[in-house]
This record gives sequence, C-alpha cells and structure tokens, in this order.
Amino acid sequence: MTQLIPTVEDATLSLRSPATVMDLERLGSFSPTRLSFARRLTRTMFEQKWQVSCTQFELDASGHGSAVYRLQTPTHRYHVVIFSQHLEDDRRTDRVIAEAWDVTFCLVEGEVDAELMTAMSANVPLQEAGRQQSRLLVISRANKSMRNFEAFVSALASGQQPDIEYLREAGYLYRTTAVYGNGKFGIADYDRIKGSEDFQQPFSAQMAAVYVLREFSVDQVEHIAMQRDPGRAATLSADTRRYLGIGNSTGLGMAPFLINHPQLISQWVLVRERALAVAVAQTPDDSDRDRMLALCCRAATYLADTLVEDEFQRVRNGEAHEELKQVMSWLEQVPLDDTLWQQLLDWAHTQLSLETQELLNTLLIELYPQQVDALNDEMGANENLDLTPDMPLIQLKQILETHFDWAIDADYECKDARYWFWYQSAEKEEPRLGVRGEELGEEKELGLAIGPSAKGVYQDLVELLDAQPRALTIDLLMAFPEHMRVIRRIQTMAATVYGEIRANLWHRDMKPMHLLRAKLSFLGAHRFDPRGDRWVRVTFFQGAPLLSDYADSSTPLEVFDDWGFPVTPGAELTAAMP
Amino acid sequence: MKISLNELQSVCRKAFAGMGFAAGHADDAAAMVAWMQSYGLDGMKALNEGLECVVASAASTKPNVIYQDADLAVVDGQHMSVLSSGNLALELAFAKARIRGLAVIKIRHCRQRQLIMGYLSRLADRGMNVTAFWRHSQTPLTEQVVGFRARSAVPSIRVFELADTPEDDVPNDGVTIVMANHFDLLPTIRSEDEYKLLARHDESDLLAARHQALADGLAVDPEVWQQLKDFAAKTLVEASEQSRSGAGPAE
Repeated sequence: MTQLIPTVEDATLSLRSPATVMDLERLGSFSPTRLSFARRLTRTMFEQKWQVSCTQFELDASGHGSAVYRLQTPTHRYHVVIFSQHLEDDRRTDRVIAEAWDVTFCLVEGEVDAELMTAMSANVPLQEAGRQQSRLLVISRANKSMRNFEAFVSALASGQQPDIEYLREAGYLYRTTAVYGNGKFGIADYDRIKGSEDFQQPFSAQMAAVYVLREFSVDQVEHIAMQRDPGRAATLSADTRRYLGIGNSTGLGMAPFLINHPQLISQWVLVRERALAVAVAQTPDDSDRDRMLALCCRAATYLADTLVEDEFQRVRNGEAHEELKQVMSWLEQVPLDDTLWQQLLDWAHTQLSLETQELLNTLLIELYPQQVDALNDEMGANENLDLTPDMPLIQLKQILETHFDWAIDADYECKDARYWFWYQSAEKEEPRLGVRGEELGEEKELGLAIGPSAKGVYQDLVELLDAQPRALTIDLLMAFPEHMRVIRRIQTMAATVYGEIRANLWHRDMKPMHLLRAKLSFLGAHRFDPRGDRWVRVTFFQGAPLLSDYADSSTPLEVFDDWGFPVTPGAELTAAMP
Repeated sequence: MKISLNELQSVCRKAFAGMGFAAGHADDAAAMVAWMQSYGLDGMKALNEGLECVVASAASTKPNVIYQDADLAVVDGQHMSVLSSGNLALELAFAKARIRGLAVIKIRHCRQRQLIMGYLSRLADRGMNVTAFWRHSQTPLTEQVVGFRARSAVPSIRVFELADTPEDDVPNDGVTIVMANHFDLLPTIRSEDEYKLLARHDESDLLAARHQALADGLAVDPEVWQQLKDFAAKTLVEASEQSRSGAGPAE
C-alpha cells in the first residue's frame, strides 16, 4: 500500500493546494476520471483477459429465478450469483429501509456448489436480515426501472429495438440501492482480499459485481422477450447494449464513509491531483489539442444529453455546457505553447464555474493515459489513525494552526453554524440529519463534524500550554481524555498531503450532496441526478465495453477504454461546437 | 454463529459507545476485543466474563496516576476494566519510552487484563518493543508474559506455573508493562526448572489463527453477540415521521 506522505515527485509537480482542492463545494463538482474505479475495472479486465461467462440461467417466463456468471481472472475464479424475484410495486423502494428488491446478487470467491447455493438462496435475498457466507466478497440488490424494463421487453418481444430516448432519462434497466463489501452481514473482510491480485484496489470487487449485473439485465430482458413471443423476439443491438448502464440510488448513508475514511479519501484526492499535475506538465502538440477539443465536444454533447430533475444541477450542467463552448473557442485561439494546459487552467479558474473547472481537469487527465494510468495502483491506503503521545503540545498547536486553520478559525456558536446534527436511525441504522434543538436524538449525535472537535482541542490545548509550556500531547489527553479520537486524527492527517475535507458539517448551508458526489466520482458514476438535497441517482458503466468487445483482440486499448462521458448512439457530436 | 471481523469491531464500537465510552475510547476498546478474537484468543469470552465491570468502567477514561517520573509510572486501575483507561495509561508509557528509550508502567487493581494485549499490539506496530507481565490470583500461582517485537502486531505469549508460591499479601490484580524503543523484550523462560509452561502461543500459531478467522469468519456466542447489539442499539435514535424526512425523500 502507498504511504500517505509527500513524495519527492510531488515536490517537482505543481499540485493544487489542500485549501483549494479539499473545499467541499469543489469536491462536490468532481467528475469521474479515467482513474475512477469503474474505468479501472474494464481496463484491468481487458489487459488481463478476464473471461466472463454465464454458467447457469434458470429464469421462468417472467424472468424470475437465478443466474450464475463465472469470472475467470489469470489466477482466480469467482462467480456472480443473481436471484430475481417478483416484487409488488408497493414494496419497491430505493431507501435502505426496504426489505425486498427485484434482484439480489453477490460476488463469490471460488466455486459455487449446491450447499453454498442453498445457503445463498436462503440469505442473499434477505440482504441485511440474512447471515451471509464468508466466501462472499460483495452483496448487493437492485430495483428495476419499471418504465425502461417494460418498454425494452415489449419492444424486443415485438421484434423491435427499444426507443433509445428511454435511456436519456434513466440509462439503465436496474439501479442498485446499496453495494456492500468489507465484512457486512458476515461476508469477507476487506483485510482478507486486499492482498489479492484481482481485488486489492478499493471497490474493485463491488464494481465487478455491478458490471456483471449489467450483463444480466440485458440477458434477462432478452429472455423475457423471447418467452413472450419466440417467433418475433429480437435481441438488443450492440449500440443499445453498450449504452445501457446500471443505475445507483444513493442517500445519506454514503456520507459518513467520506468522514470515517479520511486517509483513503485524502489518498484518492492525491492520486487525482498527481494525475492532473502530470497532465498539465505535458507539452501539448497539435494532436493533443485536437484530442482535447474532441473530448470537450463529447463532454458538451453528454451534458446536453443528460436529463436531470434537480433544478440546481440542471443549471450547473447548462452552465458547464455553455462554458465548454468557450473553452473550445479559447483552445482554438490561444497559440500552442508549452504551458498551454496551465494557461487553460489559470483562465478557467478565474472565468469558469467549479463544475467546468473540474470537468476540464478530468479531460486533461484523460489526454495522457500513458503518463497517469500507473497512478491507479496507488488508490489504496493503510488506514491507521495513530497517536504520537510524545509530540510536544507546541508542535500540535502549530499543526492545528497550519493544517486545521479552516477548523479553528470557524465560528461554531451562531445558530446556523451548529444547525444540523448527524445521527443513526434505529431503522436499519440509516444515517440521518436532524435540526439541533428541534429534533430528538441530539445526545446520540455521530461525531462526523471534525471542525468543531478540532477547535475544542485547540481551545483546551492553548489553556494547558499557558500553564505548562513544555507539556506533551499525552498531558493534554490525560487532562481531556475525550479528545483521544480527534487528536489521533489531527496528528495522522497532518502528515498527509491533502488532509481533511474542509467543511463544517453542522452548518445550515452544508450540502451533503457534495460528499456523495465526491465519492461517486471516484467510483466512476456518470449522470449525476440529485433528488432533493440528500438523495441522488447516478449511472455506472453506461457506454462501457460489452463482454463481446473483450473477445476482439484487435481492438487497441485506447479505443476499448475510451468510454468516458457516454453519448446517445448516433448523437451528433458537432452539435455542441460553437 | 459466524461473523466478520469488521462486524465485530463495528458492533463493539457502538456497544461501548452505548455503554457510555467516549468516542476514541470506544474505538480502542472495540479494537482490543476484536484483536483478541481475530487471533483465536477468545476476546469475546474475556469481554463477556467482565461485562458488568466494563459497563461500570465506561465513564472512567482518565487514568489515576499515583506516581510518575521520566521513566516510570504507577497507575491505579481502581478495579476497573483495562478497556476503559488502559489505552491512555499505555500511551503515557509509550511517550516515556520514546523519550527515554525504556519505560515501565504498572497498572494496579485492574480487571480483564488479557484484553490489554490488543492495545499493546498497536504500540508494537508503531515501532515499540513491548513486554507485559501479570500474575493470576489462583492456586497454583501462574504468570503470563506477552512479548511483541517492534513493527509486529503479533506477540509471543507464555503462561507459566510457579512451583513455589511466594509469601506476600500483595494482590495479583495488576499488570506491568515494559517498553523499549531499541531492543527486543521477548518472553524467554529464564530457568526451565523453576517454571512449568502451561500455555504457549507463538507468532506463527497466532497468524495462522487469524488467517483462518478471516477465511471462515469468527465464531461467537449468539447470546453474547445479541447482548452487544443491544448495547449498540442505545446509540440509535428511534425513528419518527420527522426523522424519516432526515434521510431525504423516499423516492
């Protein structure tokens, strides 16, 4: 695993500052890059020639039953086991409090024998309520997009291709509502797989399971269509298949992860920023500029093509779409210079929205696969928040003033600054937000707001230091044991390059959606579609290669891997040109 | 029943928080129990046998230091579980050892001493050589010695029976920990003749146990597990219509 310390290379790269990058609104403007976990998975599958095959497909005419897909990597064999069942409409909810789903599925290490299948069929459909087997690496569930599903089955059963317009609103047949790994409900701990050749990268096992579900979704609609009208049923065209992704519906449950894994998040950001710095440092030639123009054009088309319900996000997308036209004009007018990319970012920083700035960063990273792809191996982190009890308090004070200035300078006394509190509900332990002083549960608040805690340490530290100028960290802790968790965190995170997400999570203006988007961007989610301020739908693997694409060994990796910002098949890419 | 290590740690963390442990201390206590369980040393049993004591100790996170100088500290455990304030007492010794090269800490009158091994493991992982020693008040008298090499989270453990019981009236309810920054402190029997080796766990045995636990899951007593989940539930807020809106719209 990568050490979370600045490297020699970082000193020569022009990394953006933590104050810039770790701002919550900026993190909430991130787009997926080629380093995102979904892209990384398909690249790995291609490079290592993973074989995916369906070994069992026992569905009835309605598509209910079970299916098993085998994943053969160069060194190991895995299976994705999927259970499909009838679900009454009134039971279909994407909330974590749901108790049944259209499909449930899991990724299993090794072979699936009858005994394991029996145990899984009794427990996987129950999800949280079941006891899962230790050979399961991932467990998940998904609900149908009812409109798309029926439209696809009807069209195929009548020998037609479904109208691609259906996929503009929701680019999938299924959307997952949680994808669990790391020991949840009895499945394998991450500790067990992090040394494996195939799934040592964070969320790679989860991505693999979701990718196979995408394949199943197509096989299932084709199967039902065939059962409905064997004489006329068609199969889905390759273009439409490729444009089908898997949706995901995510709520506040994802937010605590960002706070509870600060070293991992800091590392993800560091890798992204290193990639950006490497890209910006390249000397562009005409072909690089042409490629950048083409990527801007595709991204603009993607934005124009993306329908979102949320007014705020719609405005952001519209603005980014317009600004991309300005970027293309700028690129065509500015002389090709060694520092072109830095000039572009400097201009964007003063003239364009955060959404567009971060989109451009994604596109620049996309330009230089040979220079940045190796960074993908550094996305892991050893997560240990360690105390340094012998650190002089004066040094801890300096750390707080240098790395946590955003926390200790903030005011947490006014009502708006302490408006929200985070807690876990008794309903499936769902994380929720309550209004302080108005809602019950404040005494059970989750300690997610690092800023106020850091300020509390600072205040007690200053007082103790006045009385004992040579005191150590342990002296502060002996006097204030309640600071143990946050002091550990402060000392550990100060040694990382990017440190903490800089936001007061209590503040009335804090937008949890930014936390969700930051994580989803690293996972590789497109079509960011908020539903209110605490719930979002996204799409994974839309535009990603099909299994049949892997069989064509003549395809160069750069073509195979070029599926960021997917646009509707047949869409006019020039439409967005100025 | 079988559970994962992450489940054990997560439920323990919430259970200790539900008992009233402060956040960082709940984290540490959970890690101490999970460490023992994952190395096949039955941390859940050790926890369960003193659960009432743990609950009573929840608020006692501040160690009562009776004496300290640059190299040595003596702490009164006040008959509480090592899960409550053992972490801070050990950090105190760690700080001294880092500054002075070697430090000794005696925690007197403490309970559930086995569980302290999980925290010692973390100190060793941070580069400290650590040996802990304690006696069990039973007949015949036994001694337990646990030694960690710096940068190794896995100890060597020995339990000896003493042939002759010394005549003293000092209660055997403390633990002595020696930390050395630069040299090993492994438990090596001084004289085979005077002691009978009752139990021995070498690093390789313990690593094998952990590997097995990660592969098969950790076996726990369902009743104890349920007890912990009941404590953990105390950290949860009862649902209401108002709280349901706190997670955003249903669809």
